[in-house]
Amino acid sequence: MKFLLYAVLALVVVPLQTTLLHYVSIFGVRPDLGLVAACLVGFLGGELDGLVLGLILGCSQDLLSAGDLWVNVVTKGGAGFLAGLAGRHMAHITPTVLLVGLAVISCLSSAVFMYSMPPFTWEEMWTALRSTVLIQAGFDAAIGAAIYLLFRRRWSDDRMVTESAF
Amino acid sequence: MAILRSTYGTRRLAVVLFALLLAALFLLPSQSQGVLQYLGGPLGYILSLPLAAFSAIDQGLSETWEGYVALQVVREDNRQLRRELDFLKAQNNQLRESVAATQRYEALLNFKEQSKAQTVAAQVIGRDATNWYRGLILNKGEHDGVRPEMGVVTPAGVVGRVVKANSASSVVLLLTDTNNAIAGLVQRTRDEGIVEGTSHGRARLKYIPLLSHVQAGDRVVTSGLTGVFPRGLAIGVLTQIEKEEGALFQTAEIEPEVDLTRLDEVLVITAPYEDAEAAQKLLQGTHGDRKKP
Repeated sequence: MKFLLYAVLALVVVPLQTTLLHYVSIFGVRPDLGLVAACLVGFLGGELDGLVLGLILGCSQDLLSAGDLWVNVVTKGGAGFLAGLAGRHMAHITPTVLLVGLAVISCLSSAVFMYSMPPFTWEEMWTALRSTVLIQAGFDAAIGAAIYLLFRRRWSDDRMVTESAF
Repeated sequence: MAILRSTYGTRRLAVVLFALLLAALFLLPSQSQGVLQYLGGPLGYILSLPLAAFSAIDQGLSETWEGYVALQVVREDNRQLRRELDFLKAQNNQLRESVAATQRYEALLNFKEQSKAQTVAAQVIGRDATNWYRGLILNKGEHDGVRPEMGVVTPAGVVGRVVKANSASSVVLLLTDTNNAIAGLVQRTRDEGIVEGTSHGRARLKYIPLLSHVQAGDRVVTSGLTGVFPRGLAIGVLTQIEKEEGALFQTAEIEPEVDLTRLDEVLVITAPYEDAEAAQKLLQGTHGDRKKP
């Protein structure tokens, strides 16, 4: 069941990201649904689930992005893995914790993207921080927390257990 | 109460997997990119199916919006377009005269080859999957003859170049992306330079000679020297010239000719010239001309 959910996520999230998400963009910045999905699965399902889903989503996003082929694989895989690590050390996952965690992971992911691109000047870095990094972090965090709030009851009853899927 | 979601074994497996991935990517970058490219083939094909479905929904939404909700601005647009039509009719008459003259010169100079680019029409079905690149996704890929480094245009001018091609789709890096570089030429002064994107979503022409008399309003076209685009395709209009103290070159901002935010169909240039021989002739002709005093 869980494997099916991940497969559907992999097939839906990336096409959704590239086609319809511009309707909800703020100043041209769209949330990164792949990152949000990998983090949520990592938080709730553990490191391996987060890592595997992150790798699949990252690979798909890399195919539909102009960047190098490794950037999304590393950022989404890493995000799922980090979220899994963080989730395991927390007594309770609350929307606030998720909000802050997602914002931090989104900023880290943006840092990897900036590293992968040609060197930025200070002015360009400041522009990127203002116009992309912070907006995307806020957007990712808000969407992740909203999804969590929406499905919180169901997820607290029916926990995702790693061993059953892999 | 802490809830352990995974056992020690799976956690260890995750750590090992991630460490292996990072090691492979940083120690063997080209080989690991090759593996990812290989894996991407079937994955790209599978993804193209939901991508097409979502693209159709997107198109439906856009048409609904433009057909009903956005009608309020149509009246003003109509008035503006009529004014533009009158202006363009007058301009068209002048251009017809110029075209007739140009055709005669083309025949004389044997430059006809440059307009015979082979193209493939493609539909824009999405935007770049991240916020870090200004890119478009096209519904044509390797099966249709689209390959990386091919130029992408519309009848109005240059759009960008293909950077990735999967079996059923391809990714285009737009002219306004900071990672793009296209050889350009100022039409009036014949000064060459490199057109690059800026972080503000516009483009600029770099490496214009200091003594050049370029000015705002000058048109920039492709120089045809890199082989991706044939010569003479419109890139944009210079809006602002920057001449820094002590700099070796001038830089100019460009307003792109094509509205890159509203693209539905584009042409991918599969061969910029009719054949390689013609391209060679043209390049030799160009170099020969430049040597003349």
